[in-house]
Parts: sequence; structure tokens; C-alpha cells
Amino acid sequence: MNPPPTQPAPARAPASVYALVGNPNCGKSTLFNALTGLKQKVGNYPGVTVERKVGTTYTQHGHPLTLIDLPGTYSLAARSPDEAVTRDVLLGRRADTAMPDRIVCVVDATNLERNLYLVHQILDLGRPVILVLNMMDVAEQAGLKIHTSRLEHILGIPVIACAASSGRGLIDLKLALSRTDLPLSRHAWDIPPAIAPAVSELQASLQDNDDKPPLIARAEALLLLTDQDSVRVAGSTPLSARTREILQHWENRWAADGTDWAAALVNARYDSIGLLTADIVSTASTAPVGPSRSDRIDAWVTHPVWGWCIFGVIMATMFLSIFTFAGIPMGWIESLVATISAGVSDLIPPGELHDLIIDGAISGVEGVIIFLPQILILFLFIGLLESTGYMARAAFIMDRLMSKVGLNGRSFIPLLGSYACAIPGIMAARTIEQPKDRLVTILVAPFMSCSARLPVYLLLIAALVPEEQVPVGPKILIMLLMYALGTFGAFGFAWLFKKTLLRGAPPLMIMELPPYRLPRIRDVLLQMIERGGLFVKRAGTIILGLSIVLWFLANYPKVPENQPEVDPLSYSMAGRAGHALEPVIAPLGFDWRIGIGLIQSFAAREVFNSAMGVIFAVEETGDEEETRTHLRDALRAAERPDGSKLFTPLICLNLMVFYVFAMQCISTIAVVKRETNSWRWPLFQLGYMTGFAWFVCLLIYQVGHTLGY
Amino acid sequence: MNTDPRLQRPRMPLTELPTGAAGRVCALDGAADVCQRLREMGFCESAIIQKISGHSTLLCQVCDMRVALGEGVARHVTVELIRG
Repeated sequence: MNPPPTQPAPARAPASVYALVGNPNCGKSTLFNALTGLKQKVGNYPGVTVERKVGTTYTQHGHPLTLIDLPGTYSLAARSPDEAVTRDVLLGRRADTAMPDRIVCVVDATNLERNLYLVHQILDLGRPVILVLNMMDVAEQAGLKIHTSRLEHILGIPVIACAASSGRGLIDLKLALSRTDLPLSRHAWDIPPAIAPAVSELQASLQDNDDKPPLIARAEALLLLTDQDSVRVAGSTPLSARTREILQHWENRWAADGTDWAAALVNARYDSIGLLTADIVSTASTAPVGPSRSDRIDAWVTHPVWGWCIFGVIMATMFLSIFTFAGIPMGWIESLVATISAGVSDLIPPGELHDLIIDGAISGVEGVIIFLPQILILFLFIGLLESTGYMARAAFIMDRLMSKVGLNGRSFIPLLGSYACAIPGIMAARTIEQPKDRLVTILVAPFMSCSARLPVYLLLIAALVPEEQVPVGPKILIMLLMYALGTFGAFGFAWLFKKTLLRGAPPLMIMELPPYRLPRIRDVLLQMIERGGLFVKRAGTIILGLSIVLWFLANYPKVPENQPEVDPLSYSMAGRAGHALEPVIAPLGFDWRIGIGLIQSFAAREVFNSAMGVIFAVEETGDEEETRTHLRDALRAAERPDGSKLFTPLICLNLMVFYVFAMQCISTIAVVKRETNSWRWPLFQLGYMTGFAWFVCLLIYQVGHTLGY
Repeated sequence: MNTDPRLQRPRMPLTELPTGAAGRVCALDGAADVCQRLREMGFCESAIIQKISGHSTLLCQVCDMRVALGEGVARHVTVELIRG
């Protein structure tokens, strides 16, 4: 055998960019966190909203190394946008991310054969690879003996036994990362003879027409024959026409003689892996027999009856925590904002600038930042459920229900997240494989009552039910009714879309249920902080800008001094818009003042409350509860020009229903635009949701009015 | 292939495999990308699957891994019963 080829190593410093790849649930993120700690940057790949995580770690000699954590995948033949990004980065197809110098493959040692499939594809790339056998501790407990040195010898690349959760093997890994020269794998496998001519023809074309280096071209040729270039995402360099022609030619030819070449390729790889693992994995005689701990837990958790009970308890705990524990830090944020406002008041003399900063910028941003605790608690729960392995079970339980409306269990997670805020919910839809199912999930997610609607519901319920006389029961009932309405709306429209507009194949769910593990608190907290940070960043930019714009609209133009009898609000842009809107909303029983609230709600729904405060001239007090009580009394006292009450019970109820269904959130529209890469879907969503809200409210008001309410 | 009916094991879609039984994968049909992913995850021909639970969505054990399969996928996996 020839000596293994080594990478030319002219530079003293080790190669600086490593990509971290592996199957889902192989402990890759834990390893990434262990190597990089807080030195991480989270963003997006331009054009697609796949999370891009880059971190820095250091060699034994203190040189910085860049580590890219690529989304988990089972194969380079991508089925979802996440997986497509992993494939494109490794193949050097993305202009925004240079091809990594070296690759760290993380595999779950307890399931070596399946995990080696991806490694096998990656070795074809002909890049320097370090193989990390993670979860060795779990494998040993299960009685598996893995001969690491033998595997290292066969593959010819560094193989490191590791348990990222306890830090075992990290030093060895760092030593390997620090090496200036890394051998290339000497592993070879036989491409099935029937496919070989196609591979070489495609490879030649990729080299000549797409400027690919020979080994990458061979790997890409193999890949094109299995994934037919089906999942393409923005930012990925397209194939040349000639290569596509050749691919098409071979596809037609095989289709004609009925060869299942894709299956042949997968089987050939598994055969090769089988030969590889036969010598290196042995099961000890001390291996535990009988059902494992995960099996015993699953017997309860996936049980047709108990499974639902456990699911219900967990969901109830989560929502109770969001609505109770969050109250404390929300109070802190309020008092902090009050302090800042007071400080600014002292610095800036009363006047236009003072009002702009206090009423426009500060209170606008506060209206959004106030929800940070709730969002953090939601992320904490989602993180805990994910890292223990329960989330996959929840999706499994929900799959049956979701399949009734044509979606699969994976859509459950985004919809659940949307109860806190549609934005993280919509972002969570990325893991859904079928593009149509993903789109339907995104389209209906904003129906789930988000936490921004909560203050509006609270205010209107307070105005509706005189709390001095009525026990708390009916209030909670009305609140639950609103949440239920939104949920039914989401499911109903999902069903409708899957039947009509986005008719597609029935949902196809293939999902691995990872073994139960104790949650990795550090990883959960890191993720929570990262996602919370993105939320704060948005509040600091988009929402700040919008708040200032809205303030101007509500305050300008000023009433000329010679017409003191004119109402300044009515004269302002917002007031005029409210008047302009009145003919449209009058059939729902809303007047122009409510119209202003509806328009302002586009910045964030809870702005309705402060808009009502401004319109009905309620004095702000430091205490939210007290302000709401004042506001409630002001709403109850509000009258129409003819002297009748404006906020009758029917109007309060109708307004709540409008908030349940209408799409009134610019941030959500912006996120949907980014996720779907077009203006078409967010505008459609705006139209259908608001239109539906209008029709339902029209019905309620007209029927209610006729009945004499 | 052995055509003696006495030696043939009963074949059925994975959806009809009784809970608790084990089966060997005989054939995969259906959409190409789904078959590809099933094979890559270990559901290749001759793999042994144990059905753990589920009515419409199934829970299966295949090479030390627990996988949830939607009905639309499981219908396209033909297995032969090897252990009831």
C-alpha cells in the first residue's frame, strides 16, 4: 500500500477553519459549546434563515481556530433547507462561506453504523477529516466495545474517543485540531459498476464546467445521482447547463431500464460500512439485557392514554410558568424603564424632543422588551424539552392530530412557540422538510395567541366584566375562549390550505426519537441567551424606528394656533388615518378612535393599550395595574357622539375576536418575508388573516346588534 | 428466490405489522427522496424492524435507533413477518 497522502503543509500555523458536522442528536452542539464556550457568533446564512453558528477555539499553542457548527444531517443528500446548507458549505457551493479547510465529523458511538453513513460521504470529499466518537461513556454502559485504534488504522485519519458532556477526550481533540498536517483518508470503496460511467462523466463535467477540484467533483457527482439536485436554497451556486444536461441524460436512461441506482448507491455504502465496523465493534458479554431506561420511559410517554396526560401536564406547567414567573422580571423591566424615563425627563426640558424620546422611543421599545422574560421562559422550556429528548415524543404524539389537518408532527413545535411570539415560532418551522408543509405552518402560526395580545385581552376583559361583582372564573373563561379561537383558526386554515392552495402529498414524517438524557443546563442556557439576544436586537432596531414613526404620525401635523377648537389627535396623521378607516370598520361597531388603536397595533399589538391611553387621556402611573384600572374606567366612560356607550360588552368582545384573527404585526411580516424569500406570502397572510377577522367581526356585530346587545 | 409457499413468510405493509412484532424489510416504494432517506437511516432491504407502538403514526426500532414514521411513509415499507 502506498503511504497515505498528506496535505502539503507549508505554513506553520494549523489550518484555521474547521467545519463541525454530524447526525442530529449526536451531541455535536454540546461539543461545539465545550470547545468554544461563550466565543460564539450566531447569525443567518444570507437569503436562507438557517442558523449560522461560528465560534473560536484555541490550539495547544494558543492560535485561534474558527469552528463552524453546521446543521445536523443524516446525509449530504439534503431534504430540508437546514441540510442543504450543510451540503453546500462542505461542497464549497456557497459564496458567503468559504469551503472549510478541515472537517470534524462527530458520530454517536452507540449507533456507529448509521452515523458512519454521513462520514462515508464526507470522506469522499477528500478533505482532511478528524473523526470524533462521541458518547463513548453511554456506549460503554451499553456494553459496546469500540476499537478506536483499529478504526484509525483502517481509515488513516485521527479518530478520537470522547464524551463531550463530561469533557472526556477534549484534550485529545484539541491536540488533533492543533496538528499542522492531517493525513487524508486512505479508505476506498467500490462504486457499483452500473453507475461508474455516469459518475466519471459527471465528474469530468463538474471539473471542466463548474471549476470543481477533482475529489470534490467526484463526491458531488455521486451526490447528484442520489439527490437529483432537488433541494436548492438561496445563496447556493447553481450547476452549469452542461452538467445538468448530463445528469438529465443519465436519469432518463436509468428510468427507461428501471435501475434503482439511488438504492444501489446507498446499499453499496452500507456494505462498505458493514465491512468496516465488523472488526471494530464488539458487544461485551456484560451488556445489559431487557428494556433500557429509555424504553421504560417511552412505555409511559408514548402510551395512547398516559402519553396525552403527561403531554397535557407539561404544556400546562409551561404556560403557567410563562404567565406567572415572568411577572417578576417584567416588573423589574418596568421600573428600570421608569427610572430611565425619569432620568431623561430631568436631562431634557419639556417639549417636542422630550415627548419624542419618552412617549415615542422609550415607551415603544418598552412595549416589546417587556415580553423578554416570557420569551426567555418559553425558550428555556423548549430547550429543556429538546435536550431531554421529550420534544420528539411530543411531535410523535401530536402527529396523529396534525395529520388530520394535513400537517405532520414537526409542525407542532413552531405552533407551540407561537403562543409566546410568532417570530421564534416561524423561525422554528425551518426543520420541516416538505416546503409546502413549512409554508402552511408559517401561514397559520400567527393565529396562535401570542403574548403581545395578552395585555389587550386583559384590558378588554377588564372593561367587559365589572370585576367588583363577578368572581374571577368568567374572566379566565373568556381568556381561554380567545386562545381556543386562535388555535381552531390555525388548524382550520391549515386544513383549508392543504386542501386547496398548497395541495401536496400527505405528510411524510420520518423522525428519530433520541434516547432520554439529563438536560445539559449549560447548553440550554446558552441557546436561550442567544435567541433572547436576537429578540432584543430586533427590538432595538426595527421597533425603535417604528415607534418613532408612529409618534410622529400621532403628533403631526400640529393644529394651527388660530383653530384651538380642533382636536389635535383628530388633526394628526394618525387621526386622519383613523377617520379614513372608519367607513371600513364602522360595520364592525368600531369608531375612528379604535381605528387609531388598530393602526398603531401594527408596530406591536400591545401598543393598542397605550394608544387608548393617549386617546382617552389617561394619566400614566408607575404601576401597570393601576394604569390599567384607570384605562378601564376611561373606556367604560367613553361615549359616541350621540351619547351612547362606545365600549359595550359586544364591542369589547368583538374587538378581542378581531385581535385573535387579524394579522397586525410588522415584525412578523418582516420575518415571514425573510423566511419565504418573497413579499408574496407575507402580503397574502396579511390579507387573508385580516380579511377573515373582518368578516367574523362583521358577523358577530351585526347579529349581536340585531339581537339588541 | 424460494417460491415454495410453505417457506414464504407473510408479507404486509409496515402499518399492518402487529405491535410488538418484528419484520424484515422486503421492499420500499413511494417517492424517491423518501426512500432515499429511509435507506440512509437504516431502513434498507433486509433490515430488521421492531414495531413498538402506534396506530396511525408508528414507533419502530431499527438498528438501535427509535424512529417515528408517519402513516404515509410506513405504508410504502413492505415487511415480512419474522417474529410475532
